[in-house]
Amino acid sequence: MMDVNGSNEPIGDPAGGVGTRRFALPSGTKLQEYTLVGVIVALIVVGAILKPDTFPTTANFRAILTQSSVVGVLAIGMTLVIATAGIDLSVGSVVAAAGIAGGLVYETGAAVFVLAALGFGLLLGGVNAAAIAYGKVVPFVATLAMLAIGRGLALQMSDKKPISLLGADGIRWFGTGKVLGQPVSVVIFVVVTIAGWLTLNRTAFGRHVVSVGGNREAARIAGVPVRRTIFTVYCLSGLLAGVATVLLCGRLASASPVSGQLLELDAIGATVIGGTSLAGGRATITGTFMGVIVFGLIFNLLTQLNLATEWQQIVKGVIILAAVLVQRPERI
Amino acid sequence: MFNRHITHRYFAALMVAPLLVVTACSGDDDATDDTAAPAPSVDVDESTPVDTVDVVQTTSGSSAPGPRVSIVASVPPTDHGWLGQIAAKAQEAADQWDDVDFRLLEAADADSQAAQIQTVINERPDALVVLPYDGAQLTPIAEAAMEAGIPVINVDRLFDTPEAARATILGDNYQIGAKAAAYVAERLDCSGDVVEIQGIAGISVTDDRSQGFADTLDALCGNGISIVAQQPADFRPDLGLQVMEAILQANTSIDAVYTHDDDMAEGVVAAIENAGREGEMFLTGAGGSCTAFDHIADGGLYGATYLYSPTMAGSAVNMARLIAQGRGFADLFEPEVPSLIVVPPTQVTQDNVADLRSLCFD
Repeated sequence: MMDVNGSNEPIGDPAGGVGTRRFALPSGTKLQEYTLVGVIVALIVVGAILKPDTFPTTANFRAILTQSSVVGVLAIGMTLVIATAGIDLSVGSVVAAAGIAGGLVYETGAAVFVLAALGFGLLLGGVNAAAIAYGKVVPFVATLAMLAIGRGLALQMSDKKPISLLGADGIRWFGTGKVLGQPVSVVIFVVVTIAGWLTLNRTAFGRHVVSVGGNREAARIAGVPVRRTIFTVYCLSGLLAGVATVLLCGRLASASPVSGQLLELDAIGATVIGGTSLAGGRATITGTFMGVIVFGLIFNLLTQLNLATEWQQIVKGVIILAAVLVQRPERI
Repeated sequence: MFNRHITHRYFAALMVAPLLVVTACSGDDDATDDTAAPAPSVDVDESTPVDTVDVVQTTSGSSAPGPRVSIVASVPPTDHGWLGQIAAKAQEAADQWDDVDFRLLEAADADSQAAQIQTVINERPDALVVLPYDGAQLTPIAEAAMEAGIPVINVDRLFDTPEAARATILGDNYQIGAKAAAYVAERLDCSGDVVEIQGIAGISVTDDRSQGFADTLDALCGNGISIVAQQPADFRPDLGLQVMEAILQANTSIDAVYTHDDDMAEGVVAAIENAGREGEMFLTGAGGSCTAFDHIADGGLYGATYLYSPTMAGSAVNMARLIAQGRGFADLFEPEVPSLIVVPPTQVTQDNVADLRSLCFD
């Protein structure tokens, strides 16, 4: 998989303000992806040296991918959102609320659980979408409000108690089952990633997403359905939060109203270190995928080394900062 | 250009994002643990256990009707199971008395709780039960209530000064760790590898539960049992799952897991079961959730939990009633209610889980 952008100048950007530095440096996205590959290799090498028996094993890499699947699915949605120069702070809360929505009806079957979770995620994403695309609320504020609303709904609907899914084997299959010898959640993560890549790089909608983020006015003049595009990305982000909750609840064997706190920051962080520009107009699913893997490797390695979590926070923060610095080729 | 403005705005926004998110979540965070309580100021060494009052018995002994009294209870937002139960137990206790006018106030944060108590002081109730959002921040207002002649009963999170409360009832986090260590030491015969899944890093509840465990394990077994992994999971099931998954990868042999909280332990249990390693180890919880009781009754992975019971709020209301009526506990010789009651964390195992069933909370 390759990046979208780099060569993909925002459609209809008449000003062309970013053109000059291109001849001097590799594009921010490219440079960042090479750097990320290096970071991933370095983390694996360090892990293999420090924990030769337990780190470089098939089972452990499978575990890392499984653990990354929840943030990974969210980050794919986040990439599309950020590509439009937006942000979705609500995904962690939506994960909790969608899980509870599924949990309330889980006894009627795994399919109903999944439908309810996806449906509720889509609904809350739709509220974000309507507020931002048609209500003209700034994405940061609209989704910050949904962060509070989603968490409140999760607590209210669950009566502040976790819903146990211990007996629900159909739901637990999403967290613990296997397809073609691989964990179901990893397969779903990979499928969502590929679908996200195709959407962004091979469809008119994907081009609209990038152009809306690159230069909204120019996109509008060029005939891009700006509102509909923005509306759709927030709906997708909500829907993917529903997918993420299915993966999480399946593994956790319970739907908890306190789940998912700060997941949005991991999803945003993974997207940003992947090379997607917070300013919009430049997005890469491949980069996001690698960003998610970097976070997964860091968590796994530092936990295996039994380092305190404050080190994980410091390492994550430093990597995000470094990534944004690499990404900052445009004039200030 | 419009685009550039957006850039700067979102970079600024990203900087602020964690702050806002933390603020928006702080209600939950605080409540995610069943505790968020400051350490008991009185160190309870296991060799010299503090005599505690059996509140259930005592109240039945002091149940003769007295003069009519008004009691107000003030608690933080009840957005977590444990705090919800705190409110419920206080109400239940008040409902059993015909001679008590009771009102329960829920405050969103420390400031609004202080404002609420200020209003209550002007209404001059006969006693005030307070589980402070934050002990330090609410100390001045509790002192003001005491100065105004309203006895304050402090529940679980301690005020900073003795002048702020007439009586205090609290749990004992250090002893949770100490008792869990004794249980683990006995079951493992002082030999094996243990994992500790902690609460929120850097708060006294976590420190006390961890310290009690480490001290006691060391005293009982020396180097016989080693803590091979020790990670916080913030009292949250989803983090418990994630942390335990990684620890299971890193350690091919684990004999026991000590967790700081029953809700969080649910995630740890799921991780162990998903890995098919439930036969290899056992675990202990803390808090006293009904789900944990179910696990313990079933036998297997979940060996024990330790009560950190919200019933203490009910006991506090009963204490408030007796203090307001100028009476002591009928079962004690002293004419006044004791000023400090430390509730020991009762160990729940398969042996007594059925007897203690009524004390679990959802």
